[in-house]
Amino acid sequence: MNQNKVDFIELTTESLDIGAIARRVVPANCGAIVTLDGFVRQFTKGRETLYLVYEGYEPMALKEMEKLIEAAKAQFQIENVGIVHRLGRLEIGETSVVISVAAPHRRAAFEACEWLIKELKRTVPIWKKEVYADGETWIEGDKSEMMNDE
Amino acid sequence: MKVSVLFFGATADAVGGREVEIDLADGSNADDAFAEIISAYPNLKQHKLLFAVNQEYADSNKIICNGDELAVFTAVSGG
Repeated sequence: MNQNKVDFIELTTESLDIGAIARRVVPANCGAIVTLDGFVRQFTKGRETLYLVYEGYEPMALKEMEKLIEAAKAQFQIENVGIVHRLGRLEIGETSVVISVAAPHRRAAFEACEWLIKELKRTVPIWKKEVYADGETWIEGDKSEMMNDE
Repeated sequence: MKVSVLFFGATADAVGGREVEIDLADGSNADDAFAEIISAYPNLKQHKLLFAVNQEYADSNKIICNGDELAVFTAVSGG
């Protein structure tokens, strides 16, 4: 297997198949994959969400996701990473983001996966709108967090 | 010179559109450009904004060139 050719990043409006995404990152020398399945939460701070709408600045989002993979591979002992983020309307419980990290040993895969989702939520230009029974709001991240780390 | 400015999510709602073209003085940097955009769309001031030039987060000193793609958006909330 070619170990350098299986990183991937994608944006899609189709529903995500987590198992299939996870299997795409596996090279022969790895013993563990850690996969994050991020999905739409029904209750946030006690308020009920009906559905979400995700929007992305797609070309920039892809570039930022690529940078994250490069940075993760530079600091963790991992082999391959796949990141797929869904856009458009998502119902409660549907998967919005999948991050799969394959590594020779599990610890690095857990650490890298946690680092990747934290950074994705800070740097990748994608936004979610929460739609409630009585209104809707675009969620804004924490800008101070964004600026501190540059 | 003319540059296009893209808006997403909350900033698209604030300006009532997803893309505008603006005229900038030659030699403008990113700070100048974004100050101009915010003065044209004061509703944007209600938000915590991030700026990009040609699909990269922008340095305030970056010199803007004719045809560049600028973007103004709120702190991100994907995941």
